[in-house]
Amino acid sequence: MFSTLVFAQSKEVSGTVTDASGITIPGVTVIELGTSNGTTTDLDGKYSLQLIDADKAVLRFTFIGYKPVEVPSAGRGSIDVAMEENVETLEEFVVIGYGTSKKKELTGATAQVKGENIEKMNIPRMDQALQGQLAGVTINTNSGSPGGSSNIRIRGLSTFGDNDPLILVDGVVYDSEGLNALNPSDIASVNVLKDATAGIYGVRAANGVILIETKKGSKGGKPRVEFDAYYGIQETSNKLDLLNAREYAVVKNEMFARGGDEVPFNNTTLGEGTNWQDSVFTMAPMQNYNLNMTGGGERTSYSIGGSYFTQDGIVGGPKSNFTRYNGRVNIVTDLSDRLELTSVMLYTHEERKALPENGIGSVLYNTVNAFPTESIRTPDGNYSYLEEVNEVINPLAQIENTNNLSKVDKFVGKEELTYTFSDALSFSNRLAYNYALVDDKVFSPLVWYGPGKAQNTAINADLDPSIVLIGDSTEIERGAAVYEQRATYLDVTFESFLNYEKNFNDIHQVKATLGASVFRRRGEALNATAYNIPNNSEDFADISANLAPGGYLNNAGSFQFEERLLSTFMRAEYTYQYKYIISGILRRDGSSKFGPNSRYGLFPTVSGAWLASEEDFFNVPSITFFKLRTSYGVSGNDQIANFAYRALLNGEGVYVFDDVITQGVALGRASNPDLQWETTRQLNVGFDLTFYDALDITMNYFQKNTFDLLFQPDVSGVIGSYGPGGQPPVINAGDVSNRGVEFELGYQTNPALDWGFGGNFNATYLRNEVLSVPEGVEFLPGAAFGVGGVVATRFQEGFPIGYYIGYETDGIWQTQTEIDNAEVEQPGARPGDLRFVDQNGDGVISFGNDDDRVMLGSPLPDFTFGLALNARYKGFDISANVYSAIGQEIIRNYERQQPYANQLDYWLDRWTGPESSNEIPRVTTGATRNTEFSDFFVEDGSFVRLRNLQLGYTIPKRWTEKAKISSLRVYVAANNLVTLTGYQGFDPDIGAAGGTLSAGVDYGFYPQARIFMGGVNLKF
Amino acid sequence: MKRSRYTFIVAALSLVVIAAVGCRDFLDLEPEFTQDAENYFINADDYDRALTGAYDLLQGSFMSLWIGEIASDNAIAGGESVTDTEGLHEIDEMRHDAVNTELRNIFRWNYAGITRANYIMEFKDNIDFEGKTQVLAQTRFLRAFYYFELTKFFGDVPLVVDERLGAQEVNEIERTPQSEVYAQIEEDLQFAADNLDWTNPVKGRVTKGAALALLGKAQLYQSKFAEAASTFDQVIQSGQYALIDNYNNLFSVANEGHSETVFDVQYTGLEGGSYGCLICLEGNAAPGFQGIRQYDGPVYGDGNSYNLPTQDLYDAFDQSDPRRDASVLDIEAFIAAQPNPSSITYAIGGGGHTGYYNNKYIKRQGEIGLPDNDLTSPVNYRVIRYADVLLMAAEANAQTGNDGLAQQYLNEVRQRVGMPLITSGGDQLLQDIYTERRLELSGEGHRFFDLVRTGEAEENIEGFTVGKHELFPIPQLEIDLAGGNWQQNPSY
Repeated sequence: MFSTLVFAQSKEVSGTVTDASGITIPGVTVIELGTSNGTTTDLDGKYSLQLIDADKAVLRFTFIGYKPVEVPSAGRGSIDVAMEENVETLEEFVVIGYGTSKKKELTGATAQVKGENIEKMNIPRMDQALQGQLAGVTINTNSGSPGGSSNIRIRGLSTFGDNDPLILVDGVVYDSEGLNALNPSDIASVNVLKDATAGIYGVRAANGVILIETKKGSKGGKPRVEFDAYYGIQETSNKLDLLNAREYAVVKNEMFARGGDEVPFNNTTLGEGTNWQDSVFTMAPMQNYNLNMTGGGERTSYSIGGSYFTQDGIVGGPKSNFTRYNGRVNIVTDLSDRLELTSVMLYTHEERKALPENGIGSVLYNTVNAFPTESIRTPDGNYSYLEEVNEVINPLAQIENTNNLSKVDKFVGKEELTYTFSDALSFSNRLAYNYALVDDKVFSPLVWYGPGKAQNTAINADLDPSIVLIGDSTEIERGAAVYEQRATYLDVTFESFLNYEKNFNDIHQVKATLGASVFRRRGEALNATAYNIPNNSEDFADISANLAPGGYLNNAGSFQFEERLLSTFMRAEYTYQYKYIISGILRRDGSSKFGPNSRYGLFPTVSGAWLASEEDFFNVPSITFFKLRTSYGVSGNDQIANFAYRALLNGEGVYVFDDVITQGVALGRASNPDLQWETTRQLNVGFDLTFYDALDITMNYFQKNTFDLLFQPDVSGVIGSYGPGGQPPVINAGDVSNRGVEFELGYQTNPALDWGFGGNFNATYLRNEVLSVPEGVEFLPGAAFGVGGVVATRFQEGFPIGYYIGYETDGIWQTQTEIDNAEVEQPGARPGDLRFVDQNGDGVISFGNDDDRVMLGSPLPDFTFGLALNARYKGFDISANVYSAIGQEIIRNYERQQPYANQLDYWLDRWTGPESSNEIPRVTTGATRNTEFSDFFVEDGSFVRLRNLQLGYTIPKRWTEKAKISSLRVYVAANNLVTLTGYQGFDPDIGAAGGTLSAGVDYGFYPQARIFMGGVNLKF
Repeated sequence: MKRSRYTFIVAALSLVVIAAVGCRDFLDLEPEFTQDAENYFINADDYDRALTGAYDLLQGSFMSLWIGEIASDNAIAGGESVTDTEGLHEIDEMRHDAVNTELRNIFRWNYAGITRANYIMEFKDNIDFEGKTQVLAQTRFLRAFYYFELTKFFGDVPLVVDERLGAQEVNEIERTPQSEVYAQIEEDLQFAADNLDWTNPVKGRVTKGAALALLGKAQLYQSKFAEAASTFDQVIQSGQYALIDNYNNLFSVANEGHSETVFDVQYTGLEGGSYGCLICLEGNAAPGFQGIRQYDGPVYGDGNSYNLPTQDLYDAFDQSDPRRDASVLDIEAFIAAQPNPSSITYAIGGGGHTGYYNNKYIKRQGEIGLPDNDLTSPVNYRVIRYADVLLMAAEANAQTGNDGLAQQYLNEVRQRVGMPLITSGGDQLLQDIYTERRLELSGEGHRFFDLVRTGEAEENIEGFTVGKHELFPIPQLEIDLAGGNWQQNPSY
């Protein structure tokens, strides 16, 4: 010892650290291994260090995002190092529930996306950026409008109720709506737990779990500043092919004549007429600015960021806007040698303006049905009335008169203290919170859309208010109204857990987690409506401005709810010789959603893996990694209304006495004290395979069965549940099965080269089937077709969730002789009518019952594919992202069945006489069964979409160096440039905004924008 | 150092354990600001508010009104298309079967009303307070009314009295013979009649007169003519009611509560409701739905062209009978008579067109129904008016041989509209009374049930099958959901 000290040479070593392309890296930590002797590189990537033991010293270079490098000094005075970027590797750590695990050692089916792949998509919401990037995760847009949400489905639909996965950002619970608050650039990584290993989250895990981590800094790193900005112009990705004025007049004349009515147009040479779509769709800007700083000192690391994003809508421009301000501070600090504090804080301010969408009465529904022979404005400058079509109003007037604003202020974060007892044992305490203040304001001015329009709030074009009789004699005016609501929501989670990890002689490895969690969510709101706002103007639209006499028309409301969870969980994992891994999870949850009879549930999971490539006998040089995995376990879903287990008097019991509305009480939902959660049992078998350290393949087969569905089925009317505000009891009944195969393939060339390419491909096959429904219930009805029409979608045994049911057609009846001589009688059929198929073979087409109805399609795709490609050469990079869904159908439900409503141009090929068409029926104002829900209204919804195409150029460093810029990249990109589909509607990528059973029903869906943008990424 | 570390571990472990087992109370939440159904009836106000809840279901009567007209020779279904409220079109054409949304609504809504009444009766002995008997009398009236609606449509229906059924119990329940249902109806109504006053200062509360009139009607439906005659006699002799002079004023909002009012369902325009939940409406949906489609002109408002009167009904009136134009609006004639006819427009719905609209319950300008003015109007539904009582009394008397009294009542109704007096007797008199019922009460929801009860349906309704269409089918889903053991009504 003594002599070593004497002879050890103290010597200086210096050098430059660069990345693979030769760009210097500042802030790299350089440490003499085995000592606390170290330094960091300066702004030019240079370092110098006095070594304690120059002969034997090993220098270790570490920097976040790069593979660590260790170099023996071997007495040299100058050591230059080129660090390789840390692309996805098996050694990478992945966040799992209450801990991390090496990707290599995972026993469950998971899928990861790195932050850069989200950021690169330039998409305002991170969930939309995930579309097509993860096998087994289906994401559909609920609306293309700014701030519109998505539908995230992991491994299919397991219930007709809430199918949203549990989303945790840095351990804080988010709902899918709340994802608007996140700036996609802040995301460091996303990990999706798809199989039963999600069971560590117990009663909330049945729909899968998405774990999102935001960016953190690294200790000892010099400050790095990144600035990103992009600006884009959006336009609609599609317009419908509607009839122009001339075509419209011809078709309508024929329609009226056939119905025996006077023809509406004596002259059909009307030219193009009004193109309502051209007026409603606009070019709209969007822009994003993002500033982020990371770094750290000896004991602390930080990541601080701020961003501003704003997007106008392609419908309505600024009337349909989403704007987000966002600030974030993440700090990790060592309070002492053993105690580490992780502090994550996010503040977001969002503002959203939205127009009516996705339903009868939405702007686009009105746009499609407005007829081309009406001009937008009358000669005197007012908006036209479109009088001949009931309940269809001038969409431009509607945009102008819609005034609503939703503002959200959100604080989200966690404080986590971890005490490390030893290398093996640590103890964490975590307090996570999510606070939101939501202000909504809806101003309804006095408007007149024309005679007889249901949306009128005035009684004439002079905007005179209606007169309301209060009591026997008091008459008051009812003018412009404003509705305001202020709601607060607070989620608090407190979690405590012990992590143990020990390696015994590189033979036995043991990991264990034991913890407890309490969760409380509370929401409260007050709302009020005020009437007779001065000047019919939004400028005065505040509930304080109520001018209605005596406060007669003022009304106020409130709500409040609270729900709680109390949980304990444990996980144990044992690995033998790095080859065999077995893991078990047990979680016990208590939920306030359920009654004392069944409040607690136990959710076990087992999983295992075999790393075959680690075996000595495994001798396939091309295969560098091969792992087989399986898991089986139980998880739950508790997403139902609070207090569904007991009977409350929250029905509506209102009657009119003495001409005054009198509030009484009435029974609400009937009780079910034995109510419990849905149970999902899932089996997963899969493997991971790597060829030559470059090509990764992952495959999974899964079988996911959900039992005891939280059902609110029809009950016998005799129980009396169907009065106002009444509901049948929630019961546990019905089973659903999801089976499928997932495939992922990834390839990346060596990042150290100055050229490269790579790609990720994923494919998912999914089969969904309802296995049973409650006794006595044939099906659960979903969305209706048309106006006051039949239910077209159902939840029914033997079919996929939300499948479509209606009449199958077999061409068109061509002649009366054909009808008379047919073996099947179709009541009311006339030549030119759709010919329905007699499914039950009784010789007659039955309307009004199921005898001749069959499955016409399903909103669920059979296959989904995602493909991401990238290539680079020197400073240039190009990337493309493609998503495809195959095998789903869409119901065309945006055509109003009214004589004067405009129609799509396929009607030009209608039946006009024998043999003229065997596909499109005749047009008539007379009574016809052609409006029955049939396959005539069902279209193939398959599509392939180029989601993002981007071309970037990184300016050579020698030009930017002087400005202290370490990297400057400029790019141009296009989103949704190309969509290949046979679907006639606006957008085939439609979600389920109206709930699970309304999926695939198109009411004039707000399409996603096609966006052309340019941007810069700047690093200092 | 070592010891403190172990202390820490123990502390950490105990924290986990405590969290796991220690705070079970944490999950015991109570709903805030809502009441629990089982512990509700504590004071008199509670009963009163529950009673208001039981009244609420009366507002679904517009459905009964529609079917009573559309199923008969008085009206067709109409609407936007033949699939718009398809159940009504099926009933119109007498091709309805056990799958029919509108019939199911009748079934569900009336049982919801019965359940709310039974809920009060279940807890009727909780406390005593002044006026309790009147609360119970109203409750029993409402229960009788809902049961009467059910048995009128479906015949034998499960009789549930003074209790609420759970999901299990409903599987074992049987259809109760109609005679037993009627016995309960009569008992409830007799109790109501015995305990209610002839008048109530609160507009909308049921009275002794309403109870007796409904009791008489129930007796008439059972062909208990003598009893019916005597029940109606009490109403007439009370002197509480009189026909108003001008038939045209019977159905206006301004004139509500007139001397001819025996039993009205109350509506308001202040919070009419929306299409989303028709049973939640506080406004009358019949005028909105029955209004003129896309109408732009004077006097009337815009509506949905439902329940359109037939030519047959229009022609049934004597030209000089003021009730024709008061009951049936000839739209073209009306427009032609206006000062500027060419400026008046309206549309024809794809569900059918007759040229006529129901002029009693029709959307009129100024009768606003908020927030969706197309949907509702504040006009009350006149369920039983005195003219109806007189005609029912006439019928009961004619059936029991009191032709003189029958003529007197019948002619009181005819005199009001200046129609010549009727002097017939026997079967002819009965026929004349039936005809008068159609003329006097058209568009008010009675016609189909009158035709069935008097055996005149086959003759007057196209497609009516004797032995089948007297009753509507029990909704198939209701049979299934009640355990699947009920026998469907004949021939369905």
